[in-house]
Amino acid sequence: MPDLPELNPVIHGKLRLALLSLLSGVEEAEFTWLRGRTGSTDGNLGAQLLRLEEAGYIAVEKKFVQRKPQTLYRMTEAGRRALTQYVHALKQLLGGAIGA
Amino acid sequence: MDVNAEEQDLRDRLKLIESMMAEGRRSTESWGWVFILWGVAYYIAIAWSTWSFGGVLWGHDTLAWPVTMIAAFVLTIVLVKRRHGNGNHPQTTVGRALSAIWMAMGISMFVLLLSLGLSGRGGQQASIAVVAAMLGTANAASSMILKWKAQLACAIVWWAAAVASCFASVTQSTIVFTVAIFFCQIVFGAYGMMAEARERQQDARHA
Repeated sequence: MPDLPELNPVIHGKLRLALLSLLSGVEEAEFTWLRGRTGSTDGNLGAQLLRLEEAGYIAVEKKFVQRKPQTLYRMTEAGRRALTQYVHALKQLLGGAIGA
Repeated sequence: MDVNAEEQDLRDRLKLIESMMAEGRRSTESWGWVFILWGVAYYIAIAWSTWSFGGVLWGHDTLAWPVTMIAAFVLTIVLVKRRHGNGNHPQTTVGRALSAIWMAMGISMFVLLLSLGLSGRGGQQASIAVVAAMLGTANAASSMILKWKAQLACAIVWWAAAVASCFASVTQSTIVFTVAIFFCQIVFGAYGMMAEARERQQDARHA
């Protein structure tokens, strides 16, 4: 029996997974856009984004646009690699290991 | 968690990844209305430059194109800002590439039409040919990025209009241009809007 791949626990949380997937399709996104797409609360979203940032999967940029604070999130290369590996592991698991 | 539940959970995660990636892409593809707006602007410019709307109030038909194009440009910027909610909109590489193509084409067309309009030089057929060729270029480049055959068809229509205008009379070239505008701006824009609405409905059903 082949070794089953491990699923990255940082990405495995559903909200964190949704956030990384969203960021993989865009160059950068604002906090409010991510909140709107995930339907999450500010507190929970902030906590999950912080976890992804601490893991080095996303980068944060804070700036002022027309005197209003804006927080922009961008996926890092490490984040892209981790998501690719996670999807690969998921497909491997679904490809027979679970059903066997 | 039993094996079936675990498998279902993994499948749900894959679906979540796909739907979220699609969501990011979809947010950049809401542009059908811009084609319609510019199609209407072209019609107004043609009508103004052809009939001058009575002459007294709308005289200076050499300004028809520059004024209409400036108005359409300003209106597009205002509407884009309103739709995208003051910058609360993600950037994508594809979105930036498409914006760059249309911005460059818009600036080229504006500079050219303004110069031709103010100088009074350049025949109508030549002007139409150049505008149609530029629209063909932008549509073709955009269709290659998006791999969108319907837009490539529009590019071909524009190029055909450009070629036809070189050989046609003033009246004929105007007719060719208005027909191309109808298909490539109005019909294509409406088709784009319907495709976007259909995609949104599908996403809502899958959510």
